[in-house]
Amino acid sequence: MLLDLQKLSRSFGRVQALRDVTLRLETGTVGLVGNNGAGKSTLLKILLGLLPASSGSGTILDCDIRHTGLKLRGRIGYMPESAAMVPLLKGVEYVALSGDLYGMPYRDARRRAHEVLNYVGLGELRYRQLDEYSLGNLQRLKLAAALVHDPELLLLDEPTNGLDPAGRQSMLRLLEDLIAETGKSLILCTHVLKDVEQLCQQVVVLHQGTVAKSGPIEQMTRAADNRFEIQWRDANSDFLHKFRDSGGHVLRGPGPSGSATLVALPESWDTRQLFALAAECRTVITRLREDDEDLERLFLRLTEVPGVTP
Amino acid sequence: MGIDIANYHGWQGELRHPVRGVFSIARVALLQVLRRKSYWLLLILGLAQFIMFWSVIYAVTQLDLAPDFKKTILREFGFSAQADEGKDNGYMMFMERQSVVVMILLAFSGSLLVGADFRQRTLPFYLSRRIGKRHYIVGKLLAVSSLILILTVFPALALFVEYGSFTSGWTYWIDNWRIPLGVLGYGVVLCLANSVWLVCLSAYLQRAAPIAITWSSLLIMPGRLGEFLWKASDNEYWRLLDPWRDMRLTGQLFFGKFRKDFDRDLAWWAMALIVAVTLIALLALVRRVRAVDVVE
Repeated sequence: MLLDLQKLSRSFGRVQALRDVTLRLETGTVGLVGNNGAGKSTLLKILLGLLPASSGSGTILDCDIRHTGLKLRGRIGYMPESAAMVPLLKGVEYVALSGDLYGMPYRDARRRAHEVLNYVGLGELRYRQLDEYSLGNLQRLKLAAALVHDPELLLLDEPTNGLDPAGRQSMLRLLEDLIAETGKSLILCTHVLKDVEQLCQQVVVLHQGTVAKSGPIEQMTRAADNRFEIQWRDANSDFLHKFRDSGGHVLRGPGPSGSATLVALPESWDTRQLFALAAECRTVITRLREDDEDLERLFLRLTEVPGVTP
Repeated sequence: MGIDIANYHGWQGELRHPVRGVFSIARVALLQVLRRKSYWLLLILGLAQFIMFWSVIYAVTQLDLAPDFKKTILREFGFSAQADEGKDNGYMMFMERQSVVVMILLAFSGSLLVGADFRQRTLPFYLSRRIGKRHYIVGKLLAVSSLILILTVFPALALFVEYGSFTSGWTYWIDNWRIPLGVLGYGVVLCLANSVWLVCLSAYLQRAAPIAITWSSLLIMPGRLGEFLWKASDNEYWRLLDPWRDMRLTGQLFFGKFRKDFDRDLAWWAMALIVAVTLIALLALVRRVRAVDVVE
């Protein structure tokens, strides 16, 4: 089990950053997404043992997050969002320092620093000072610093932050190769949902300090199977009324004349029943299109439209 | 066998106790200072003063100088090789003069050693590793203390060894056992007080100019005020406002000799004041580190 949290809460004075967060996640790759202020950073800090929870309990990598902060951080590699640079150090010294701080023996930290720098593609730049690194290379350097002690779990906070499209793809490919080669678990905290779709098997959507949704991405987006955009004419008010009575949901609309309405069919229905209802109500459906809800749309629906059920 | 750099290689090893992180932080901080060429000027200034004292000792002990001239040199440098002659101890004077170099060096290095961690948000890098806040704080204090030791205690001990080498050797060293004790004690006072005050100040102010100005002001202005109030009221306790004087008085407790008996009473008050200010600064520092960690 990667993560098992039970009603985890954290407040800062009157501000409730996390509220009753309950999660069970298997080992693998997990995307942690949410708007600004949703509680992602607070959750990461609690997982790293840097911040105590106000209430609740949990384990990460089968270690109690309340009591084993230092031990946990020896098994986790964290890549912070911030610049996190140590002035006047060279690349290899920075990564070796990270190894030292994780508790690696002196020689091992240095040898390992060279190894991981080669792996992330910074072998040629290892003796340059940090202020000479480009943003893309700095992100790779931070990844190397997180990998130096060969952790079981990587916690990456916005790894593609500020990168151009080519840099972003390069970083994602590196992470894909790393995960495929090593089988390490990954928690990816990001605003870029495409990154989550590309890298992760599971996703946790945080909204205002609570878990709006969590689970395998494939299952969550597959929920759109029974969703359709429809347009009709010669409608009478009975059509939507009877549709709702049959167990269907109107998710969006009907909007201004001509715009599509997003509906979710009752579970036992397929499109034949929808057409049959339309015929019964003397309504002609002029457009029927399956709704492809990708992660972004799911995220927007969960975090911006109140009262919408998935 | 070729090196396979294309594939990832794991690492199997035992992680050591987090306390070793303290030394890594201190080592890297010193490396940062030594890589700034501008700080080498200050270090050379400190070295120049050491060489001057070294030369004085050599001149007094090895050269065939007129006795009056020797006395003049000794008086000029406040130098007494004997601990019980009741004069200002030359070793203490050396350390006090080096403290000026220390003050200037710390004023400008605070931003690099500590301020940058807060300004450039490097603190999450440190604290997300396998160390606690206490290891980070102690590591930084150790780095600042190392700079102070390099400029004050080690050279003073070297002068003590030199004097003994050029005079009666073991007899001198054994008879004057109080001097190295005084040097170490005074050094501990300088290290503890200056490191905590500087790291705390740098954590709050972060940038070089504000740190330098505030540091210099805090170490000079209260002394001036104290002098003025002392002269106005004839109450010597006002001079306790001078932090450098307080550190010297506290250091004198370890040397065991005072110019005036009243200084001995003042020394205990000075020590209490330094301990109180240092504790307050330490609490403020811990609070600052915790606040940044929470906010980040």
